[in-house]
This record gives sequence, structure tokens and C-alpha cells, in this order.
Amino acid sequence: MFGEKGYALVKELSRYEDSLPPYNTDLVNEVSNEIKLLIDQNKEDAQMTTDEGSGAPSMVSTIRIRHAAVKRNLRCLMAYHYNRIRCLRTMRWEFGSILPVDIRANLSSAESEPWQLICGQSVTGGVNLAVDLKPPKALYIEVRCLADYGNLELNDGSVILLKKDSRHYLPRNECEELIRQGVLRHIV
Amino acid sequence: MNPDEVEFLGEKQFITIIPTFNSNTIHLITGDVGPFRASLPIRVPLWMAINLKQQQKCKIQQPDWMEIEALETIKENEKLSRTFTKMPSEHYMIEAKLLLGFASDDIPRADEIRTIIKDIWDIRMSKIRSSVDVLVKNAGSYAALDHLTIMEINTIRPILPHALDQIYRIKASPR
Amino acid sequence: MPLPTAYSPNYYSLDDILATQERTPCKFLINVPKMGNLNPSTIEKDLPAGTALELPMWLVLEMSTGRQPIVLPELPKIYKEAYREILEADACAVDLHKFNLYFYELGSYAKRFDRKGDVHQTLLHTFRTRFRQLMDLADNSISDPSVQQRLDTLERRLFKDGYNARTKLNAWLVESGATIEAANMVINHKKRKRLNMEDLMK
Repeated sequence: MFGEKGYALVKELSRYEDSLPPYNTDLVNEVSNEIKLLIDQNKEDAQMTTDEGSGAPSMVSTIRIRHAAVKRNLRCLMAYHYNRIRCLRTMRWEFGSILPVDIRANLSSAESEPWQLICGQSVTGGVNLAVDLKPPKALYIEVRCLADYGNLELNDGSVILLKKDSRHYLPRNECEELIRQGVLRHIV
Repeated sequence: MNPDEVEFLGEKQFITIIPTFNSNTIHLITGDVGPFRASLPIRVPLWMAINLKQQQKCKIQQPDWMEIEALETIKENEKLSRTFTKMPSEHYMIEAKLLLGFASDDIPRADEIRTIIKDIWDIRMSKIRSSVDVLVKNAGSYAALDHLTIMEINTIRPILPHALDQIYRIKASPR
Repeated sequence: MPLPTAYSPNYYSLDDILATQERTPCKFLINVPKMGNLNPSTIEKDLPAGTALELPMWLVLEMSTGRQPIVLPELPKIYKEAYREILEADACAVDLHKFNLYFYELGSYAKRFDRKGDVHQTLLHTFRTRFRQLMDLADNSISDPSVQQRLDTLERRLFKDGYNARTKLNAWLVESGATIEAANMVINHKKRKRLNMEDLMK
């Protein structure tokens, strides 16, 4: 049945709602090959129709069906790639500018370039759009470190060592990204 | 919208406080506040009042509508009326939550007030739910939302507009 | 918070592609050479006219339009009279997932095959009747996954919207501060990593 592989590709992506599965190069290639095969078969049949004249059975309906399958496979491929990039964009807001290693491994080589573009986008006009995603209540907040992170340099030059379970009283805009990444926890 | 965002909007409401410090006028982007003279009441935005209270620099004066008798009357009106009655404040839930949370020592009988406000909220919420249900079931094209506060409207977002969008989609798809 | 938009499928929508993969019965009006492989029950090379098959909606839609349609499409059985009567009687009690995972989506496409417009009415009536139940489910905030089993995809999406909104509201009513939280994807990512590590260590 045509379009089964394209369907499998789309189904795999839809199962992973909030993360990215590894780029399925094999399945993508299989779908591309199916498209090529269908197009070749169509060319052959179209040729046959014009060659043999009106004696041969009309291949028009066959060609129509194969063409529909080509369009379907193309749609599956486009949707697969498009939705992966959309997912990358959401990840920029959720993970910050650094992707965890195992997610980065799931990107194909062609996807790292869009990632660079996306990373460049959220600091436009000197305003960092990624801070204050919730209305702020105070300038300074208390945080607790959840894992050993190392040194954090603040805007005024001072350096703070973030060790597991240490508590700090820091300016909100500096530690917001680390809280969203799960390194620090905001204590009220 | 997030409830936090609605709270942010609600914090702009003015309430009266009694500062314990002296200060000149403070110039803010939204307007000037002050000058502050100790023991003289002054109207400031809610967010500033909470902030000052946390630094123990003021005492908050109870808003007029946050009295037991006044609230009881509102509650009775709400129960008897089929539609929504006008609330004393556009952001009553937010003011109640912030004031009763941070300044309960400045408000007498805070627990009772909390209970009554919660009752009023519950009555209005159940009215909202049944009127939304009637709207969807009978395919009405509009509903009367007079006197609803933003926080209450926010509780049926995004499910109501999305559901109406889906109904529209089903209707509009080619026969 | 990202701007929540209602589901509105376009060319790239994964859900629309999945929904149009659902099958619908149809009958071939003409002989189609070399397309015997569409029929899994024969090994013939050609597809004779009169064959009745269940094919995916995307294919049936392409084949049934135009000046010379190849097939005559029929309504899938869940949109036929008998099932419609069940829905008219008590839409809320029905397990819509069992009917079809993409009940409303498939129905929106399938209703083109119904001259009388009954399917259209049934879809709207079912959605409207079940909406109250959906709202109640979302408001009661029990994170019991089995409660979603009886809903189809469209309803599940609405349920998720309502459930998230209700959870945020409840959190706001109880807490007094706007804590900054770790991003959802980060939390899920860590959970997945932990589960993988546990599997590896077994």
C-alpha cells in the first residue's frame, strides 16, 4: 500500500510530543525512493499510452493514483521536517541557548544550522526576550542549587560557586535562565 | 492568560495605606506617587503597598468593600440574581488574595472574609459554567457577560474559544 | 507563555495527516490496470471495476473528485444510520475513541459523501452535547489518564487545554508567589533520562 512508510514517519514524530526522536535517515530515504519509483512508473506508463495509440487500455487512472501517492509521500516528508524545526524553536524557549547533549545527538546535520539561527533570534534590539516569562515580584530571589554547576559570573563581576544544595540570594534576571534549565530551584 | 498575568494587571489598582516613613514624591513610569508623610494615609498601587508591607514600612487600610456585612449583602444578591451582579472591585479576587495573604494582621476577621469571598467566587463560577454549557448546547451566538471580572473570564480560556473554533471548523468544512 | 491557538490544520499538520490515513469504503467504477496491489486479498495485477475496498481517506478523496471519478466513496460505518442513532440517543455515554480516534476529523471529510447532510448534523450535535462533560472532566483536575480514553483526539486536545488552565488557576489560588519554574520540556527530558538509566541498570 502506498504511503505506508510516509505514514510511519509522521506517526513516529507525533508520538514524541515534547522532545525530538533521532532523525530517521533510513525511513526518509525509503520514502524518497518510493516517490522516485512511483514517478518512474508513471513516466513509463505515460510513454506507453502515447506510443501504442488508442488500442491500449487507458493508464490515466493508474497514473492519477500513483500521482496521489507521490503527493502524499511528499506531504509526509515536508510535515516531518517542518515539525522538527518547529520543535527546535519551542526548545529554544524551554532549554535556553544550550541543548542537552543527547538531544543534540538527535538532530541531523542539516538541522544544526537552523538551530544557530533560532538562537540568534531572541536577543533583538538589545532586549533579551527570554527573561521575565512570568511577571516578576521582586528584584532579588532566593535560589537553591540542584546540581554541581561550577562558577557563575554575575554582571557586576563577582563569581559565585554553585555547588549542590547551596543557597544563594541573587538578582532575578541573572538566574532566571538557570532556573528554567533546572540547575537552580526558586525558593519562595 | 496565566493567572499570574491577570494578577499583574490587578496589582495596578489603588488602595490606601498608612506609611511609617517620610519620603518625597516618587516618580514612576505610570505616574507619581507621594509625597509620603508618616501616619498620613495615601493612595498607592497595590503592588507597591504589598512591597512596602513586606519591608514593614506601612500599614494597609482595609478597603471599604472588604467588610463582613457588605460582603454578605453582595453574596445574597449574587445568589438571588440570575445574571451576574456588579462586583465592588474589578479585581476583587486578586485584591483579596494579596491583602489577606500579606496583610492579614491589618484586616480584622480575615478568615471569615476569606470564606465569604470564596463563596461569592464559587457561586459566580458555577453560573459561568452553566451559562457556557447553555451557550454551546443551544448554539447561541452570544452570551451576556456583564459584570464579570477578568479573573473569572480567564477561567474559561482557552477551552471555550477553542471549542467554539472547532464547532466553526466543522460547520465550515465543505459538505 | 506561548499564545495558545485553537487546532487549525494546515498542510504540515501531523494530526491532519494521521486523520486522513483512516480508512473509508469505496467502490471502483472503472478498471484500473496495474493497481491490483491495492487489493490485499487477490494477486491479480489489474483492479477490475466493481471491486469494493477500504482505502485511506487521502486516496479516496483524490480518486473521487474530478470529471471522471475512479471510485464511488461510501460513508464509513460509524457515520451510518445505526451509529448515528446511538449518538442521538446519548452522546455522552459513548466511547468515542472506540468509534474512531479521529472521529470529528474523519467525519468532517466523510460528510462530503453524504447527500442528506445528516452526518454534519450528527457531528455538531455530538460535539455540543459532550462539551459539558468535557468541561467538567477538565475542571476536576484528577490526573487520571484513563479518563481520556473515551475521548477522541479533538476532545483530548480541548481537555488538555482546559486541564492545564485549571491546574494553573488552582496553583495560583493556593500559592502566594510567582515562582519561576523549570521548563516543562526540561522536566520531561530529565524524567526520560532517569527512566532510561533505570532500564539500563536492570
